[in-house]
Amino acid sequence: MRPARIQADKQQGAWPSGGEIARLVVTLVVATLLQTTVAPNIRILGANPDFALIIVVCVGLLKGSEIGAVFGFAAGTLVAIALMEPLGLSAFVFVLIGYFAGRYAETADLSAGYAPLVSAFAATLLANVLLAMAQYLLARQVPLGFFLGRVLVPSLILNTLLAAPLYLVVRLWLRGAGDLRVARAR
Amino acid sequence: MLTLYFLESDSGFVHGTQSIVLRVVAPLQNGTARATKPFRDAWNWAGDLFSAKSENAKLRKELEQLRAGVAKELTTQDENLQMRDLLAMQRDRVYPDGVRLVTARVVARSTTAWYSTVTIDAGSSSGVVVYDAVVNGAGLVGRVTKADAHASQVTLITDQSSYVDAMVMPGGAQGIVSGSVTGDVTLQYVDKNERVKVGQYVVTSGRQGSVFVHGIPIGQIESVGSQEVELYQSISLDPFVDFRKLDLVQVVVR
Repeated sequence: MRPARIQADKQQGAWPSGGEIARLVVTLVVATLLQTTVAPNIRILGANPDFALIIVVCVGLLKGSEIGAVFGFAAGTLVAIALMEPLGLSAFVFVLIGYFAGRYAETADLSAGYAPLVSAFAATLLANVLLAMAQYLLARQVPLGFFLGRVLVPSLILNTLLAAPLYLVVRLWLRGAGDLRVARAR
Repeated sequence: MLTLYFLESDSGFVHGTQSIVLRVVAPLQNGTARATKPFRDAWNWAGDLFSAKSENAKLRKELEQLRAGVAKELTTQDENLQMRDLLAMQRDRVYPDGVRLVTARVVARSTTAWYSTVTIDAGSSSGVVVYDAVVNGAGLVGRVTKADAHASQVTLITDQSSYVDAMVMPGGAQGIVSGSVTGDVTLQYVDKNERVKVGQYVVTSGRQGSVFVHGIPIGQIESVGSQEVELYQSISLDPFVDFRKLDLVQVVVR
């Protein structure tokens, strides 16, 4: 069994301590503020960075699937509240992302060094496809060319590039507990 | 939760919870927006610097075109007349009795490509209600689509669900300004027989039943197209408002 899996298995079922919860709450608030007030003013490669999504991925990778899913739900709900958007859609997408990022950390055989990048790439793909499907179901315009060229591809590149530095910051803040890299080093 | 949200009324449990949490989050967003403003300005400045070179070349080309256009005296006079009309209209703009302007700051905005909305720090406690028009110094920004006690959601005119009663100045051709998912703004339902030219200005019509008062500048006509089989002209607009740099806005409260 790989070290990452051992570490992740040890963490399964273990509820975080009060200090860890406090740090996760701060992470949640910062993710929401970054997403709603900073991200809209940063436009690179024609896309805005999705800080909340990347941070949900990071928490999932560092803390496992259960905490990742709960954190994703809270982040999605808070972002929707802050933007006064319909509640539930972002929460649903982020629950899946937090959960699958956690499961990836618990079970993957891929090199842990690429984990944040691969996870952010996959999460961006999943989130954008789900959001586009939701738009289609809500009878809003979803032109395929626009979606691929001006939404999906720029977001994939930007979020993947931002995943590494954000992962380092989040890992440092959450003190590396449950971190894949720490687990590998043991 | 999503199902509950769409099924229940505005006074329902989920909406109520959203409202309570928003009251906590809105001041934090306001503080963050103020704190990060210098960085945003620096970022915009850097972005403007990078685009200055290409813009310079573009402006030189436009200048050459304008020089060639100087010879066409009639065209120049016509443009001059349009400018004077717009200026006169802006000077004479009078809101109906009971209308007041509530100044607000943009504290958050959607980053998804599917929604063009912003959140402002003024709500029903300031008299803001749904459908109020939102403007800034350049022109029409959008309309209020949700109003909480201390915050409101504004749907920009670039959003695909935005429709605004509008008219072309001068001339008075009427149409509907609508946004799109790509952010492009078009003037629709203008009869093919109406004479509409590139460069003319578009303002809110303020027709009876419209949520907007008359005379708010929206944009300038960028291109006009017409096909034999179409009943209406295909007109694209260049909005006056720079939606990337929204900061202070005013809500037209009736």
